[in-house]
Amino acid sequence: MVGLVVGSALWAVLALIGTAWLVVTIVAGPRRLPGPVDVVRWFLTCWLGRALALAAWAGAGWHLFCQRP
Amino acid sequence: MAAGALLAIVAAAAALSAWEGSLWRDQPSAHWSVAACIAGTAALALLAGHGRQRMTSVEWLAEAWRSGTDPARRRSTYGRGVTVWAILVAAAIAWDLTSFAAQVHDLPTLSYFAGHVTAHHWGRSLVFAAWLALGAYLALAWRTAGRARRPGCR
Repeated sequence: MVGLVVGSALWAVLALIGTAWLVVTIVAGPRRLPGPVDVVRWFLTCWLGRALALAAWAGAGWHLFCQRP
Repeated sequence: MAAGALLAIVAAAAALSAWEGSLWRDQPSAHWSVAACIAGTAALALLAGHGRQRMTSVEWLAEAWRSGTDPARRRSTYGRGVTVWAILVAAAIAWDLTSFAAQVHDLPTLSYFAGHVTAHHWGRSLVFAAWLALGAYLALAWRTAGRARRPGCR
């Protein structure tokens, strides 16, 4: 069990703030406030950004499926 | 793309995800299959994207620099929205690194939580399917329609 330890509580606070901000960006609309898709698309604008995004994706996948249970 | 071809690709990805869910992190087949997906996605990005980027990398870096150093753009509503995302991502990375460095039960890392999901067959399959879909998006999305529409874009 994860339990409500200090670290989990802080992760919950971060998740709550992130979710609240996501809702704010959706309500405001993409022209006023950038959402997560806009942030990802900004990286995909050029080869360097796309390569960085793909490298992060590859690293995350290797860690999740080959290193962690 | 024809609907039939798209359906076949989705079915193949679903079958791959279901098979991947049956594997364990230490199995060689898990390693080569993930490595093959990474190599395939990188090749897809190169093949599909040649001459179809919206900006050159130099233009992108220059634009990012201008956005970061221009006070008017930083103070705009949109600029402040970008700042909030940057702070949230930086906070998550910093807290994850702090928790990882501490290596104590009271400070779980993000991968600790992910491990609880991927420890199950269905969880590993679903997370793998989501990872594949994200990889396809990163490789293919946000291109220009034609090849080399802007001079210098490669």
